Amino acid sequence: MTNDEIFAKIQEKFPKIEKAAVQVKNYLTVRLASKDDLMAFAQCLKDSSFDMLETVTATDLLGPVDMKGYIRQQNFNPLLPEGATPQIEAAATPGYPYRPVMDLLWVFFSIKERARVFVRLEVPRENVSVPSLTPLFKSADWQERETFDLLGVRYEGHPNLVKILTPDFTQGHPLRKDYAHIKDRFDE
Amino acid sequence: MSNATLKSDQLFINLGPQHPSTHGVLRIGLTINGEVIVKAVPDIGYLHRGTEKLAEVRNYHHCVVLTDRWDYVSAMPNNLVFCLAAEKLMGVAATPRANALRVIMCEMNRVASHLLFFGTYGIDLGAYTPFLYAFREREMVLDLFEMLCGARLTYNYIRLGGVMVDASSEWLKRTMEFVEYFKPRLDEYDTLLTYNPIFMARTQGVGVVTAREAVDWALSGPNLRGSGVDHDVRRADPYCGYENYEFDVPLGKTGSCWDRYFCRVQEMRQSIRIIEQAIEKLPDGPFMASGVAKIPKPAPGEAYAHVEGSRGDLGIYLASDGGISPFRLHVHAPSFINLAMLQEKLVGMKVSDVIALLGSIDIVLGEVDR
Repeated sequence: MTNDEIFAKIQEKFPKIEKAAVQVKNYLTVRLASKDDLMAFAQCLKDSSFDMLETVTATDLLGPVDMKGYIRQQNFNPLLPEGATPQIEAAATPGYPYRPVMDLLWVFFSIKERARVFVRLEVPRENVSVPSLTPLFKSADWQERETFDLLGVRYEGHPNLVKILTPDFTQGHPLRKDYAHIKDRFDE
Repeated sequence: MSNATLKSDQLFINLGPQHPSTHGVLRIGLTINGEVIVKAVPDIGYLHRGTEKLAEVRNYHHCVVLTDRWDYVSAMPNNLVFCLAAEKLMGVAATPRANALRVIMCEMNRVASHLLFFGTYGIDLGAYTPFLYAFREREMVLDLFEMLCGARLTYNYIRLGGVMVDASSEWLKRTMEFVEYFKPRLDEYDTLLTYNPIFMARTQGVGVVTAREAVDWALSGPNLRGSGVDHDVRRADPYCGYENYEFDVPLGKTGSCWDRYFCRVQEMRQSIRIIEQAIEKLPDGPFMASGVAKIPKPAPGEAYAHVEGSRGDLGIYLASDGGISPFRLHVHAPSFINLAMLQEKLVGMKVSDVIALLGSIDIVLGEVDR
């Protein structure tokens, strides 16, 4: 099935859904209007053979990454002379629409149709909270914990929303663009 | 005497993180009642290196080096999937010869990875001998890799737009020799372990995952196919010209540990078939596409690529803001997702079966923790 056919099929069942402005290359990408639609839309996808929730993740669209989030020096090439321009600078690209938004992503897959749907939802990046998909898909469990750990997205209704990858003493959520590393006992 | 009258205290034991059967640094907090597990809490993150974060200050060529460190037992598919995603973003396509070489390397890596599984799974269940045979052949694959790209585990061989070096005719000859040598070895493995009565008793009917559960947990790779679900990325979403090769997708029947094991052993046979065809049809031409910048700056956009890695459906979500580094890199790591079912599947099992189930999922902690 082509992306347009899949979209027509989904739209028939859930008319409120829209195509996203930026499509993930070669896959159908749709955008939810608000987080209230999420559960209903996920249920609708599950009923129309998209029974595998492949990925749960998010992107912080605040801006270029903050170099304070890294323990090592910015200029990590020892061969460069002192005071030389750093090799990699986290610089903003002119023209890119940075905004204080958390862009959430879910990927649904249908084994029967061999089709994949990328579902996006933009929410303000402070105190992000969206419904958890754990009642519908078991695979959401660890992936939502991971997104919570790394990006600070709270999934309401998750049975066990605790850190999973970073150590207990890590403060903050490392993949947020404004994350600044706080020195701990493992730094020199 | 029934269980109700025979009172025993529940006991908490730590399995790992330094237990040889956990294949790395995985800790499982087990609460047991006698021999039966009441609660299992997998604890991961001991090997978390934050590669998704590190990628945000490295350019695209540097990121290929990071990918090797996820699944260090089969690093070729990791290289490949990142390159595929970045190539989609940049609008570059690999040359036909590079594609064929990528297929050969990934399939050889699958053989090496499944051989490691085959050997260590035997050890987990008390059969030491198959390990020695499996590593004899695995060394040969690693020697071939070393001959071509100089590394045995972290290859960095598949690059943006193609591969690092071209395969010489001498290397192709040696690879064909290995293929011929390896084919009868697979039958040897079956007599050593697959149809060994003790091994079958330990694995058949243990840790059964039904097809419905497998889909619900979003399992992939041999874990999904062991439950009888016919899904292989090489078939469903072909990349690198997999649609031109003839191969079967082995399926399990019941979804027990033995089915998952059997799928992997059968997959080695199919990988060998693909390698043979790819070497036979290897096209001439350049091994690297032209037009890949030294410091690529893809236009703003998002791309997703996925491959059938040795452990399952390995995917990369890559977003670019037009800068020299990825704006966001997300890894859809099969080991991480396959491992999640452990917390529920272990409940009610016997302690001795924990290792059987854990081994059959075939995780690599480098990929679980990234």
